[in-house]
Amino acid sequence: MAEPLVDIVARSIYISLAAALIAFTFGALISLLMLVTPRRLSEMLIGVFDALVGAPTVVVGLIVYMLIYPGGPLGFLKLLYTPTALIVSQALVALPIVVTLLYRYFEQLWSDVKELVLSLGAPAGKVYPLILRESPPALIAVYLIAFSRAIGALGAVMVVGGGIEGLTNVVTTAIALEVLLGNYEYALALGGILVVLTVGLSVVARAIGGLVWR
Amino acid sequence: MEVRLEDVWFSYDGRRYVLKSINMEIKGGGLHVVMGPNGSGKTTLLKILSLIYKPTRGSVIVDGRSYWDLGPAERDLVRHHIVYVHDKPILLRGDVWYNVSLGLKLRGFNNYDYLEELIKRYGLSELLKSSSRSLSAGQRRLVSVIRVLALKPRVLVLDEPFNYLDSSRVKILLEDIIAMAESSLVVIATHYVVRELRDNAVKMYELVEGSLRG
Ligand SMILES: Nc1ncnc2c1ncn2[C@@H]1O[C@H](COP(=O)(O)OP(=O)(O)O)[C@@H](O)[C@H]1O
Ligand SMILES: [Mg+2]
Repeated sequence: MAEPLVDIVARSIYISLAAALIAFTFGALISLLMLVTPRRLSEMLIGVFDALVGAPTVVVGLIVYMLIYPGGPLGFLKLLYTPTALIVSQALVALPIVVTLLYRYFEQLWSDVKELVLSLGAPAGKVYPLILRESPPALIAVYLIAFSRAIGALGAVMVVGGGIEGLTNVVTTAIALEVLLGNYEYALALGGILVVLTVGLSVVARAIGGLVWR
Repeated sequence: MEVRLEDVWFSYDGRRYVLKSINMEIKGGGLHVVMGPNGSGKTTLLKILSLIYKPTRGSVIVDGRSYWDLGPAERDLVRHHIVYVHDKPILLRGDVWYNVSLGLKLRGFNNYDYLEELIKRYGLSELLKSSSRSLSAGQRRLVSVIRVLALKPRVLVLDEPFNYLDSSRVKILLEDIIAMAESSLVVIATHYVVRELRDNAVKMYELVEGSLRG
């Protein structure tokens, strides 16, 4: 008998929340660093991240696999087929979109708020509190987008997780497996949940983001 | 106050100069009008006068001191007296009251009497609780104009301030501008002739392809 649906969904959500958090944290750091690097270089880097947004997740999984399989450079960590491996791979899948969204957002926000503060004859230091006040909805939106990218990353979790019941079986791997076994209804139910989680969250994220993205 | 531009050149891309050898002196009070077709450099010139953009070459002398050679704290002090109204208003997330009182708040003022008078005068009272995102172009303009009029600056720089305003608001704003110019310096950029401005101007400038014809 297949693993209870709730367990799979709960595991998926937990792993993807963690992956999104990592992607968000590193993505925010990278985008802020890029804002203070010379423009020529940061425009080049953002081009790279733009291209990576569409990278096949199975390739991301493969790269992580090469690092953590027993003979690989990080093999001693014994991460293959563990939830940690899933979290890392999903975080890598979500990272590029976090970087590109936050970079563009902060670039625009910084220039708008700076011009506003200067035009009002206010002290230049007022830029920082205003940026902090302005950005939370956009940050939440980007986190949710990262989550929805992470949870949908079938290729990556298949390669490094293997869909082991009770351990690394997540919604995407379970769907793939149940279809092979002919359990179409079960697969469809999981598929419905995944659609609600990804598409639904994306819609919510863009609505929240729309509050600030002009 | 006195602001003097000495041989000012400006380029956005490091190749083409959009302002060429500008010499300009505004001091005391009175209305100064900068005219010129779209793309002639009015906005760029006004942002340099307002200490928002740093010239690529040349100096901006405020009350005898070269502004861009000052330290950050001294720059804040000088800029305190000079405000600029964007041709495309910049509003932040929040309601109209937050945006219209932002200038006063950033300066640490908490006397809103004159601001409230202006809000009534321009007919914005009903809108105070509306989200800044829901405003029309004309309403956005009013918010951005009122929030600087409330500051009673010594130097007021307005970029195409009449765009999108209805005729009754244009009339009120013209009255306020002309009244302000009795004690302060007012600089206005416009691409079309407004009779009341010409009749009241102490000086008219014409900008053609980045060069000034005084
Ligand atoms: N942010 C910018 N980056 C590059 N070029 C710009 C920018 N802003 C204005 N320009 C160019 O500078 C010239 C002058 O523009 P502007 O000062 O806005 O003129 P005006 O206000 O008279 O219409 C135009 O050719 C415009 O294309
Ligand atoms: Mg302009």
